[in-house]
Amino acid sequence: MSTKFLQVSKEEFDPELAHKSFRKAVNGAGAIVAFTGLVRGEGQDDLTLTLSHYPDFTEAEITKITQRAEERWPLIGWHIIHRVGPMTAGEPIVFVATASAHRRAAFEAADFIMDYLKSEAPFWKSETIDGKQNWIEPRGQDISDKKRWSL
Amino acid sequence: MEILFFGRLGDVSANMSCGLPKGVSDTDSLSSWLSEKNETLAAELAKAGNRIAVNKTIITQNTLLTDKDEVAFMSPLSGG
Repeated sequence: MSTKFLQVSKEEFDPELAHKSFRKAVNGAGAIVAFTGLVRGEGQDDLTLTLSHYPDFTEAEITKITQRAEERWPLIGWHIIHRVGPMTAGEPIVFVATASAHRRAAFEAADFIMDYLKSEAPFWKSETIDGKQNWIEPRGQDISDKKRWSL
Repeated sequence: MEILFFGRLGDVSANMSCGLPKGVSDTDSLSSWLSEKNETLAAELAKAGNRIAVNKTIITQNTLLTDKDEVAFMSPLSGG
């Protein structure tokens, strides 16, 4: 597998397998940081989260985010997996892994990519509880997280 | 042209595949045309935070259109 990989799909993924294949792809790296985002339970058993995207445009915008990360940190590689479609509590929704020679770049680049995915990537999220659908829009926290990077 | 709606906007209008509507020459006049046809959509389009993309590029000002263009109306994004 390539050192750079992006997948946006309805398919479920296994973060442990994703980590393993990333580690193989960046053979020789000194540090890997991997983040997995899960659908929060919120104490609701019947919660369904549904994500939609704009095919090709979404992938292009995420690629731009990774290019900014590459300009800023010496990365050996990155893998991003993002699910779309309906999901239930506890399921992995996003996987971001970065690799570099030393830990700092990998930590910061993964954090940066997540902050930008949360606020800039073209995804639309809605939750359905008891058959009632609500759209979720960026929280103030997501906007201020992104501002930490002062770009 | 293709007119696409994402997020909240997709709840109030279906995607459309049509020629350039009469009197429409740019994104501003397309928004007005859509708003006249659909009151609920008009209210949603008037809200802050929506974005428009022409041929998969975000635009920040009024943009000329042809009948070959793909225009996407997007409500505020929420990834991760």
